Amino acid sequence: MERSNPSNMTALRIALVAVLTAVVVVFTLLVRVPTPIKGYISLCDVVITFSAFLFGPWVGAIAGGLGTAIADLIGGYAQWAPLSFIIHGVQGMLIALIARTGMKAKVPGDAKLIMMFAGGLIGMVVMTGGYYVAGGILYGFEAALVEIPLNLMQSGVGVVLGMAVSRAVLKAYPPVRSLAW
Amino acid sequence: MTVNTFIAGRGFLYLLDARSKLLLVLLLCVMVFLPISQWGLWLLCVFAFLTAWHAMGFTQALQPLRAILFVLVLMTLFIPLTYRDGESLLVIGRFTVATVESVQNYSFLVSRFLAITYLCTLYLWSTPMADINLALRWYGLPRNAALVLTLAFRFIPFIADSFKMIKDSHALRIGEQSSRRQRLSDAIPTITAALVYALKSIPHFAMSLEHRGLGRSGGRTEYRKLKAKGGLFTQMLVSVMIPTVFWLLFNTL
Repeated sequence: MERSNPSNMTALRIALVAVLTAVVVVFTLLVRVPTPIKGYISLCDVVITFSAFLFGPWVGAIAGGLGTAIADLIGGYAQWAPLSFIIHGVQGMLIALIARTGMKAKVPGDAKLIMMFAGGLIGMVVMTGGYYVAGGILYGFEAALVEIPLNLMQSGVGVVLGMAVSRAVLKAYPPVRSLAW
Repeated sequence: MTVNTFIAGRGFLYLLDARSKLLLVLLLCVMVFLPISQWGLWLLCVFAFLTAWHAMGFTQALQPLRAILFVLVLMTLFIPLTYRDGESLLVIGRFTVATVESVQNYSFLVSRFLAITYLCTLYLWSTPMADINLALRWYGLPRNAALVLTLAFRFIPFIADSFKMIKDSHALRIGEQSSRRQRLSDAIPTITAALVYALKSIPHFAMSLEHRGLGRSGGRTEYRKLKAKGGLFTQMLVSVMIPTVFWLLFNTL
């Protein structure tokens, strides 16, 4: 993959972020897993975690934030769009920053895995806490409490599947490493 | 998958420019968090609902209400029960179900949430997505960010169709209904294939962007300019005046 030309880099980055943003939207709106208490959880966190692990904090933040915000706009929850942009953006950025600390440091494989997992856990806390605070501001902290278990479940599934999918994609398509930013 | 949220309709919403309308919605959303009377909040809700009804029809106007129904039910169940202070309003046996303060608080939170929901939805319904992008660009969104937004919208149907095809082809090899855990692990190959398919398109996509002039000085494409009926200044002035008058009439300071 050609990367020497700066304009090529810009085009590649724009294409990468746009495609991942679209993937986040599709996974938010199309891929839904039914939950025991009536409702659904989306798999947007899988793509956010995946983007953060493989492509770094900027891609994780922009694709995660923008993708979920667009999904809210299209899905009829426009009032949530700015909040989702911030919450999932911060989630993607923090996951990537923490996971990268483990990847850059000269630590054994297990420790790297632990750092990736730690990044995912922080992401879970940010997402669940962020939506609790946002929900509390919008419609009261009492009603917002109900969403905590669902959000924990969604982000937890996102972290586990995101880690598994990152490894699988790296194996299936190794050139993906050159797209990291 | 349909990504278009614009609904053709009538009324003053469609006369306002995307930039001034965005300012109006933002100011009104900020205003509902300021000290304002309950009457003011409910009036704003009723006004937003009637505007939606007039512009798009009754059934469509009910749509935002349906979308937040679950949250409204949660609020109805939890808010009155968690505010225990104040004068009793509804008592069953020895148990106080609701106090005057809890009902006031409930009414305040519901009206605020409804107002924000309707304001944001109305903006989205009455403004084409391309115009929203141009409005954000006018407010200072960088060119590359606007490009990402535009391209993401173009890519969503393509990715959605590809994902459906991959999902259908993978469904053929998955056997009988298994446990939830098994179904989740079965999802990994589908998700991986969909992601690899999307990622493989990136280099070609980047190449086509370069062919369109991205990165060159004097690129081949430019964003069009938005035109405001009656002048942008007048529309901006109206957008500032509406929340200001509303605030002056209904503030509780």
